[in-house]
Amino acid sequence: MGPLSRDVWAQRLGAFRASPSAFMAGPEAEDLGRDLLGDLRNEKLSEQTKVSLLALSLEYPAQLWPDATAAEVAATSLLDTLVLLPPRPSALRRPLLLAATTALAVGGALGPTSGASCRLLPLLLGLAAGSDLGRGFVPASEQRPLQATACECLRELESCKPGLLGGSLGLLRGLLGQEGPVQPLSLLLSLALRNTLVLQSRAGAGLGALLTARVSPTAGGPWDWALVEEGDGRLQPQAPSWPAAEEGDGERSLTARGHSPEEVRELRAAVAQLLDTSYLLTPVAQAQLLWLLGWALRGLQGQPPALFKPQLVRLLGTAQLTLLHAVLALKAAFGEALFTAQDETLLLRRITLAAQHPALPPSTHLFYLHCLLSFPENCPLGPEGEEAAPLLLGPQLCRGLLPNLLHEPTALLARLHLLCLLCAEGEEEEEKGQLPSPGHYLEELLAGLWQRAALEGGPRALATLCFQASYLVARCLAGQPTVLTPLIHGLAQLYRARPMLAPHFVDLLDQVDPELREPLKVVLRQEVVSRPGRDEALCWHLQMLARVADGDAQSATLNFLRAAAAHCTSWDLQQGLLQVCRALLRAGVGGGLVDLLQVLARQLEDPDGRDHARLYYILLAHLAGPKLGVALGPSLATPALASSLVAENQGFVAALMVQEAPALIRLSMGSHEVKGPLPVLQLLPEALEPIYSLELRFRVEGQLYAPLGAVHVPCLCPGRSARPLLLPLQPRRPAPARLDVHALYTTSTGLTCHAHLPPLFVNFADLFLPFPQPPEGAGLVFFEELWDSCLPEGAESRVWCPLGPQGLEGLVSRHLEPFVVVAQPPTSYYVAIHLPPDSKLLLRLEAALADGVPVALRTDDWAVLPLVGDYLRGLAAAV
Amino acid sequence: MAQRAVWLISHEPGTPLRGTVRFSRRYPTVEKRARVFNGASYVPIPEDGPFLKALLFELRLLDDDKDFVESRDSCSRINKTSVYGLLVGGEELWPVVAFLKNDMIYACVPLVEQTLSPRPPLISVSGVSQGFELLFGIQDFLYSGQKNDNELNTKLSQLPDLLLQACPFGTVLDANLQNSLDNTNFASVTQPQKQPAWKPGTYKGKPQVSISITEKVKSMQYDKQGIADTWQVVGTVTCKCDLEGIMPNVTISLSLPTNGSPLQDILVHPCVTSLDSAILTSSSIDAMDDSAFSGPYKFPFTPPLESFNLCYYTSQVPVPPILGFYQMKEEEVQLRITVNLKLHESVKNNFEFCEAHIPFFNRGPITHLEYKTSFGQLEVFREKSLLIWIIGQKFPKSMEISLSGTITFGAKSHEKQPFDPICIGETAYLKLHFRILDYTLTGCYADQHSVQVFASGKPKISAYRKLISSDYYIWNSKAPAPVTYGSLLL
Repeated sequence: MGPLSRDVWAQRLGAFRASPSAFMAGPEAEDLGRDLLGDLRNEKLSEQTKVSLLALSLEYPAQLWPDATAAEVAATSLLDTLVLLPPRPSALRRPLLLAATTALAVGGALGPTSGASCRLLPLLLGLAAGSDLGRGFVPASEQRPLQATACECLRELESCKPGLLGGSLGLLRGLLGQEGPVQPLSLLLSLALRNTLVLQSRAGAGLGALLTARVSPTAGGPWDWALVEEGDGRLQPQAPSWPAAEEGDGERSLTARGHSPEEVRELRAAVAQLLDTSYLLTPVAQAQLLWLLGWALRGLQGQPPALFKPQLVRLLGTAQLTLLHAVLALKAAFGEALFTAQDETLLLRRITLAAQHPALPPSTHLFYLHCLLSFPENCPLGPEGEEAAPLLLGPQLCRGLLPNLLHEPTALLARLHLLCLLCAEGEEEEEKGQLPSPGHYLEELLAGLWQRAALEGGPRALATLCFQASYLVARCLAGQPTVLTPLIHGLAQLYRARPMLAPHFVDLLDQVDPELREPLKVVLRQEVVSRPGRDEALCWHLQMLARVADGDAQSATLNFLRAAAAHCTSWDLQQGLLQVCRALLRAGVGGGLVDLLQVLARQLEDPDGRDHARLYYILLAHLAGPKLGVALGPSLATPALASSLVAENQGFVAALMVQEAPALIRLSMGSHEVKGPLPVLQLLPEALEPIYSLELRFRVEGQLYAPLGAVHVPCLCPGRSARPLLLPLQPRRPAPARLDVHALYTTSTGLTCHAHLPPLFVNFADLFLPFPQPPEGAGLVFFEELWDSCLPEGAESRVWCPLGPQGLEGLVSRHLEPFVVVAQPPTSYYVAIHLPPDSKLLLRLEAALADGVPVALRTDDWAVLPLVGDYLRGLAAAV
Repeated sequence: MAQRAVWLISHEPGTPLRGTVRFSRRYPTVEKRARVFNGASYVPIPEDGPFLKALLFELRLLDDDKDFVESRDSCSRINKTSVYGLLVGGEELWPVVAFLKNDMIYACVPLVEQTLSPRPPLISVSGVSQGFELLFGIQDFLYSGQKNDNELNTKLSQLPDLLLQACPFGTVLDANLQNSLDNTNFASVTQPQKQPAWKPGTYKGKPQVSISITEKVKSMQYDKQGIADTWQVVGTVTCKCDLEGIMPNVTISLSLPTNGSPLQDILVHPCVTSLDSAILTSSSIDAMDDSAFSGPYKFPFTPPLESFNLCYYTSQVPVPPILGFYQMKEEEVQLRITVNLKLHESVKNNFEFCEAHIPFFNRGPITHLEYKTSFGQLEVFREKSLLIWIIGQKFPKSMEISLSGTITFGAKSHEKQPFDPICIGETAYLKLHFRILDYTLTGCYADQHSVQVFASGKPKISAYRKLISSDYYIWNSKAPAPVTYGSLLL
C-alpha cells in the first residue's frame, strides 16, 4: 500500500481505537504496523499526524508488533527515523524515543542480543547526560526536554528490567549534582539505587564501586548487563514492608547483608542528596521518591532512617494524598525507628483530620479512612491484615468521623464500620460518661436507614444501602445481643412496611452468620404467616417464606399457604407457592403438607403447577426423608450456585430425572408373518406392573438393518393380554441380527423409568418373504427362470436336510409353506424365497428318504450359503 | 506506583449507553509488569466498551435498578472507598479508582506490584494515591476557569498531548496538567539549575502578590432540646504570586483580631517550606480551651507560577452568623410554616445576597399559598414545590425577620416534583444562601504589611476576603431530623 493521506490515517486510527480487537480481526490488521512505520518517514504527512501515529504505537505496541522479532524491527525503524530527522526542532523526537522504548520493553526484545537495545540504551544515557551527540542531533532548544525524556525512558526500561542501570549509578549521581534536570534524574537514580540494592545483595557486586564509578556515557563500551542477568530480570515488588505482606517473602533477609563503612557512607550520601533536593520535585514525584528510598533502605543494617526525619514535618502539614500516603509507607517500613510514640500520635491525628477535612474531596476522605483502619501501628494488637481501629484512635478522636444519614452510601458505610469498631470496644470499656454512647447512636442511625428503605417508591440504592449497613453491623457486632435484638426487630418492621424488599432479606439471610440468621428467620416467618393470604404482596411473601420456612411453626405456615392458594391465580404465584412447599418438603414437614399438595394438585389452574404439586406429593409419599433431601437438593456433582433459580431447577431436574429401573416388561417374539414388502417381527409384550406411556426403542447391532423406529404402547397391565406389536425390518443385508431393546415408561406412581431389556434375536428365517404368486400353472416355468438366473454370479449347493417323524410334507407345511412355488406332495417341492433387500434363495426338495431329503439350492448371493446350510440342518430339530 | 490505564467518561443519563468514553489511555509497559507481578491473578485491561458498561453498572449509573441484582445489590458487596472491582468478562478487574464529578467519571487502574490473591490492603498499593492525584489533576485542568462545553471540548482535545508530558509511561510526573501545558510553552527557555519541577518557567513583569481568603460557613440548626445546633467555618487562602526569579521566597501571615476564633485543622500547599508545630497540632479534634494558638499563622513558601491554595483551615466560631428556627406542621390538607431568622449583631450586616430556600419534597406542586412576611419578598416556584425568601442586602435594624404562611399541594407526580429520602412527612429543612464581601467570620485577615517577599522589586500586595454560606440547614423543629454524632454532644 502506498503512503496514506492524513484523512485515511485519521479514519484508520479512529476505527482501531473504537475496538482494537475488532480492527485486528479485520483485513487491515496485518499492514497496520508496517504502514505506520513507513509513513513516519513520509514527508507529505504533517508532524501532527505522525505524532498521532506514534501515540497509537505507545498504547498498542503489542497489537502492532506482536512478537520480539517484530518489536526489534519496529524499534530499529523508529531509531532510524529519529536519526534521519533534519537538524531543526521537531515534535517527533520525544515521541520517537518513547515509542522505541515502549516497543522494546513490551515486545520482550530488550536484551544484550538485541541490536536496537544496544543502540537505544547508549543513546538514552547520552541524552540523559546532556552529552553532545554530534551532527546537530539535538537542537539546543530541545536539549532540556529530551534530557528529561531520556531519563523517563531509562526509568521505564529499568522498571521492566531491574538492574539495567546498575552500572550507571555513579554517572547518574554525578549528573544530579551538576546541571541535570532534578526530577527526572532523582527518580531515575532512586529507582536504579533501589533495584541495585536488592540485586547486589545477591550478586555480591560492590555497592560502593557502583555508586562512585563515573563511566562516561559516550565512552562507547558495551552495556553492562551483569546485574540484570543476576536478577533474571525478575521484577521486584516496590511496596515497603506492610505488616500483612511482610511475612514469608524473605526480602528482609535479602537486603540485610552488611556493608562496609565506606559503602554505607556513600549510600547515605546518595540518599541524603536525593532527599535534600526533593522539595524541587512535584508532589507526586516526591511521593515516588519516598516510596523507593523507603523500600531501598528498609532492613539495611547501619542505615538508620533518620535521614527522612527532616522531611516529615513539611510533609505532615500538607493535604496532598500522595505525600501522606508515602509517609504512611515510611511508617510501615521503619516503624518505631522513624516514628516515636509521639510522632505516631501526630501522624494519626493528621490522618484523622484529613479523613474529615471539609476542604478535601469525598474520595480522599474515604481513602484516609481506609488508611486509619489499616494504620501501621508501632505496637499492633489485633490480627494482621484485618481492618481495625488503631489503639490510639479513641471515641474522642473519632467524633467527626461517625456516619449520619446525610452521607453518601460509600462514606456512610466506611464511617459505619468505624462506628461498629468503636461499639465493639465500648462493650469492653464501658461508657466514660462524657460522650454519647456509640451503641445508642448506632441504633438511631439504623432506624433512620430502615425508615428510608421503607419509603414507598424509593430507589433500590437506598434499600441496598440499608441492607449493607445491617450486614456490616451484624458482622462486626455478632456477639452482642444489645445490638442484634434491635437489629432483628428493625428488619422485621422494615419487612412489614415494604415486603417487596424480600430479595434483599433472602440475600441477607444467606450472608449472615447463624447468630443473626436463625432468630431473624423466626421473626420474618412470623411476619409472613400472620398475614391473611390475600395480600397484594403475596409474591414477596411466598419468596420470603420459601427461604424462612422450616420444620417449626408448621401449622401456621400451612394455614397461610392454604389461604394463599386460593389467591394464587397466576403462574408465577403458583410457582412461588410450590417453592414454599418444596422448602417445607426439604425441611421434612409431613402430615399437613400432604393434604395441601393433594389440594394443589387438583385445584391449581395451571397444568404445570398441578404437575409440580403432584410431583411433590409423589415424592413426599414415596421417598424417605434423606432420599427426599437428595432428590430436592442441589446436586453435589455440580458446584452449588447461589441463585435460587438454579437451585430450584437442580431440584426439579433431580426429581424429574428418568429413573434407571429393572425391567418391568418382558418381550417375546410372536409368530412370523410373511405379508407385505418387508419382513415384520411380531413382538409380544408382557408387563409385571401397570405401566403407562411405554416406548420401546430398538437398536440393531452392526448396522445390518436400517435404524428401527420406536414402538409406543399407551398402557400395559399384567394379566391382560396385549395386542402383538409389529416391528418392520429393513435389512441392508440378508442376515440375522441382534436387537438391543430399551424401554421408557411411567409407573403408576408417576416416576419415569428407563430399563434395558434382554436383546432380541432376528433369525435368518424371519427375513424370508415370498415371491409374488405366479399365475396358475406357470409355477414351474417361473421357478426355472429364477433358478437359471442365479448363475453364473450366484452359487449352487447341495445340502442334506434331516427329516423328523412327520416327513417332508410336515416339514414344508410347517416352515416353508408360504414360499412353495411348485408342489408335488409328498416327494417334491420347489421353494422360492425372496431375501430382502434383493436376493433370492431357491430350493429343490426332491426324492425324500425316510430320514432326510437332499436339497439342491441356488442363490444369487453366495454370502447366504452358510446361513442356508445352518437353517436347513436346523429345521428337523426345530420341529 | 504506575497506572495501567486512565479513562474519562461523560455520564449521559437518558442515552442508550448512559455514557461515552471521552478519553482513554493505556500503558502497555505497565501492563507487561502487571502480568508478571499479578501472575495467576492477572486480569487484563478491557477495551473501552466493556469497561464503560462495567463501570457504570458498578457505580449504579445504568438506572436499571428495578430488580434486585445480586452482583450489585448483595448486602455483602460493601464498598468503603472509591476503589472498585469491576466484573469484566467473568473476571474481576481490581483496583479501579473511580469517582463521578460534574457528570464526568474519572477512572484509572493502578499497578499492584504483587499478586492480587489474596487482595493486598489498598494502603499498601502506592499507585492508588498516585492514581487519585492524577485524576484530581485532570479534573482541575478540565474545570478550572471552564465556562462552557466548547472550552471543555478544547481542553479534552489537549489531554492526549498533556498526558504524554505529565504521564508518558504511566508513572505520573506532575498531576498539575497546567504545568505541562506551560512546559510546552516555556520549552524554548533554557532552564537553569535547581528549577523546581512544579514551576515550568519564570515570571517576567511587575511584581505583585494577591491573597484572598474565602470562608464558608455551614450549619445544622434544630431548635430542639437534647440536640445541639452545629456550625463550622472552613477557610481557603488562595494566592497568586507574580514574582521574578527562579525561587522567590514569600512569607504570608494570617492574623486574627483580639476576639477572633483560632484557626484549626490547617492543611498547607506542598510549596510551604516549614511549619510551626503549633500550626501542625492545632486541631478541632481536641476540646477547645483558651490556650489555643491564635496566631499569627506564618506560612513561608516558594510560590508556583499559577494561582494556588496556600492553605485550608477550619474554625469553631462562638455563634452561628444567622440563628433561626423553622416550624412546619401538617394541618389536614395544608402545611403551616413559620420561619424566624436572626442575624447575630457581630456579623457585618451588608450582604451581596441573602436568601432562604424552603423546598417541599415528596409532595405535589404548590397549588395555593397564603403568607405574611416581616421583611423581604417571597418567590414561589409552584412546579418545583419551592419557596425562595429573598432577604436582600441587609437585615432590618431589629436584626430579626419572620415568615409565616399556609401552603396547599396538588397531586404528587414523580417526574416533576423532587424525591428526597430524608424529608419524609414533616421532616423538612430550609437552606440559607448568602455571601458577605470583605468579611470573614473568624476575623482572619492577611495583613499586607506582614507579607514578606524576598525577591527583586517591591511587589504590590492586594488582599481580599469573603464569607459564603454552604450547607446551611435549619431543620423543622416539629419533626425528627437527621442528626450528626456531634449534635448529641451537650
